[in-house]
Amino acid sequence: MSGRVIVITSGKGGVGKTTASANLGVALAGTGASVALVDMDIGLRNLDILMGLENRVVYNLVDVIEERCKLRQALVKDKRLPNLSLLPAAQTRDKSAVSADQMKELCKELSTIFEFVLVDSPAGIEQGFQNAVAGAHEAIVICTPEMSSVRDADRIIGLLEARKDEIEQYRLVVNRYRPNMVQANDMMSVEDVLEILSVELLGVVPEDEDIIVSTNKGEPVSGTDNCKSGLAFRNIARRLRGEDVPIMDFSSQNQSWINRIVNFFNPVRV
Amino acid sequence: MQVLTNLFARLRPNSVRTTAKDRMRSMLTYDRLELPAGRLECLEEELMAVVSRYFELDKSTTQFDLQQYDRRASLIANFPLLRSKC
Ligand SMILES: Nc1ncnc2c1ncn2[C@@H]1O[C@H](COP(=O)(O)OP(=O)(O)OP(=O)(O)O)[C@@H](O)[C@H]1O
Ligand SMILES: [Mg+2]
Repeated sequence: MSGRVIVITSGKGGVGKTTASANLGVALAGTGASVALVDMDIGLRNLDILMGLENRVVYNLVDVIEERCKLRQALVKDKRLPNLSLLPAAQTRDKSAVSADQMKELCKELSTIFEFVLVDSPAGIEQGFQNAVAGAHEAIVICTPEMSSVRDADRIIGLLEARKDEIEQYRLVVNRYRPNMVQANDMMSVEDVLEILSVELLGVVPEDEDIIVSTNKGEPVSGTDNCKSGLAFRNIARRLRGEDVPIMDFSSQNQSWINRIVNFFNPVRV
Repeated sequence: MQVLTNLFARLRPNSVRTTAKDRMRSMLTYDRLELPAGRLECLEEELMAVVSRYFELDKSTTQFDLQQYDRRASLIANFPLLRSKC
């Protein structure tokens, strides 16, 4: 098998890379695909917590690279989805413990076992980022509709463009979207961000308190029903699998009739 | 109340959203070209000086700008000419 290696990156820190990695992992596995989640944020391990797997971590990515264990021994199986596994980051090492070539080798090996290999990149554009993109064929760029985040996303897009030979495709996910603020013209819309960055849209995830609750429970929102961010992540997963899923329109929810009329003429899409 | 706020927001031309978008666009144009502040003005002055040796210019309506299309910037210069100088 030759699985797809997709890096999830952003430039700016704290915009939702790890949240998106966990949720897309669960959502893709939910569609029946076999998925490996790779935590490349060496020294700042987080993905295991979001997945609720922190107590099952025995070996980590650096152990595999330094041949202290076999790849299969380091992979932690998800609690609910048998076709989803996590390769945890080392917590006590730093980014220099891994080289780009080693990472390429590792991604290649993972892609012989899994249909999807999702790599959670650290913030920044230095070695940690370079290592995370090293083995990838595709990229998902995460940004929030804020100026500093869009600027950093643009920087990342420039770096991905420079790697055209390896990165065949990159698409944008706008996270923490707030339709009400966009409607009040207090924030850039998805359309604004796309126009500025000239990039293809993969999806929009609304700001949602359920994400914080789900992090505390160790159960990503994409595994639960009745939650708009969970649905947004499941839709992104389906788009990744090539399905044509329209971008949802959240603007008419929880609103009065007059706002609905206004929205009819000027919809805010999520 | 939110309804009225939203309605008025739509009518307000210089909204925070437009300001952010405009600032963003110009910031990224400079970022992508790695163009330091003031450099463009410097070029404008030099170009204008050269063109002025050949033509009398209507300096009140000249236009000198960077425009973005598909992540590529173009220099748009418009120097309205009054008459030739030789
Ligand atoms: N759509 C959302 N709605 C509400 N909160 C969110 C959303 N997305 C992310 N968050 C919160 O934002 C914070 C940062 O998210 P996360 O850790 O996924 O970002 P990151 O990009 O991985 O950060 P880092 O750069 O430090 O690795 C977390 O507290 C998370 O719960
Ligand atoms: Mg993270």
